[in-house]
Amino acid sequence: MDTPNAPIPEASAPPGTPADVNRRLGALLEQIAAGDQAAFAEFYELTSRRVFGMARRVLIDVELSEDTTQEVFLQVWQNASKFNPEAGSPLAWLMTISHRRAVDKVRSSQSSTDREAKYGASSQDIDHDSVSDEVGSRLEAEAVVRCLATLTDTQQESVRLAYYGGLTYREVAEKLNAAVPTIKSRIRDGLIRLKTCLGVS
Amino acid sequence: MTDINAQNNGRVPGGFAADIATDLASGRAADLAEVYALDAVDDAERAAIEGYLLSAPQAERAAFDERVRQARETLATSFAAEEEPPAGLLDRIMASLPSQDTTAAPDARPAQEPPAVPPVVARPIRESSGLPVTDELGAARKRREERRRPQGMRNWLVGVAAAAIIALGGVGVGAYVANQNDPLNQVLQAGDVRQATVNVTGGGTATVTVSPSKDAIVVKMNDVPPPPAGKVYQMWLIPKDGSAPVSQGLMDAEALSKPAVVKGISTAAALGITVEPTGGSASPTLPTVAAAPLGA
Repeated sequence: MDTPNAPIPEASAPPGTPADVNRRLGALLEQIAAGDQAAFAEFYELTSRRVFGMARRVLIDVELSEDTTQEVFLQVWQNASKFNPEAGSPLAWLMTISHRRAVDKVRSSQSSTDREAKYGASSQDIDHDSVSDEVGSRLEAEAVVRCLATLTDTQQESVRLAYYGGLTYREVAEKLNAAVPTIKSRIRDGLIRLKTCLGVS
Repeated sequence: MTDINAQNNGRVPGGFAADIATDLASGRAADLAEVYALDAVDDAERAAIEGYLLSAPQAERAAFDERVRQARETLATSFAAEEEPPAGLLDRIMASLPSQDTTAAPDARPAQEPPAVPPVVARPIRESSGLPVTDELGAARKRREERRRPQGMRNWLVGVAAAAIIALGGVGVGAYVANQNDPLNQVLQAGDVRQATVNVTGGGTATVTVSPSKDAIVVKMNDVPPPPAGKVYQMWLIPKDGSAPVSQGLMDAEALSKPAVVKGISTAAALGITVEPTGGSASPTLPTVAAAPLGA
């Protein structure tokens, strides 16, 4: 949007809602693009627990997760000017960068046996933390719980193994002993169902 | 929808094949958007999808992009694990912040006519310091950014003759390729390298080693047949902003065996390789014989 001089965003959306957070992040990205370190620090304070939390789910290892988090925020610093609001929200932009980094790292730094053991572990503790209970509105969190429940168990399992396990669809298929095309369909259908339920437009 | 796949031949409406290439060939690119957004493909598959989209019809590309965007919003909303990062991490990051390569935001730049368009030049680069190449690419980037406007990937084919294109390598690309132990090893030995291998139409593969910190990639062709008589391979960087691809030089039969260094990748979305008449072209002749995405 071409609203660099939009009025104080906090005034127009209830604090803490995703829309409000995203508006604030978008404004900060503009300042970061101009080299504003204070804006960068605020951006970090608002989002680093999401980035690190996701990295920990994918990578397990604390140091690798810290490295990944550092790389992600360096990328934010360097690429803030390339953020395009029409291509998605600031949070989706950030989490896309973060997930890709984490996945690249997990695939390059861990042997398959290693990962086998680790994603086994990580898939156990996914259920109770896949929903934010600290950021965003209560309503949003409830919507996620409700919408995740509209997926079939196998759809949920496939999407989660890919997201937090860092697995390719092929690896998901191997792990679940399912046909490769089936897993692609589960991921596609699961995400589309989730999107529709959440009203993502 | 359930996850039933009646048949695996990849041609059944609603059904995926076992491999991405067959999905693409059977017109299912948009159906791969969710798997792609989830990073549930390997590097070669990602490159195959992005390479396909480079020359796909605008409508198909738009449908794919829209589904990817929605899937990413959905994921960011739904998978929201949080954990406090180690104390002091912000300080360490702040201490390591490099200077930003964009000195001014695009909208802060005064509107102005693009500078005179340099002709396409074919000349070998003698890269003693590495700086000339970077400067020229940087200048080309700046010109592109000044011209920047919303336009689809398709549009880079239109009016490209008027675009500022600098052929860095010319016939002597081997020049900036071979025997340059310095830039080559600097990239290959960087701490942050990532590697992807993509198939080359006609046989063989291209291995792309990316180092964001060096702002460079190394392209190595493996078992790729020499170009047909009267033709060469030409490398391009496809800018993220949708502007015209920028030639990174040519590879003839001789240069094919040597790794090539391509610099100034931070604003590029992808590397593409095409077959062009000897001497190279000002704009790529599609389809690409190989394409590799460069970073997020």
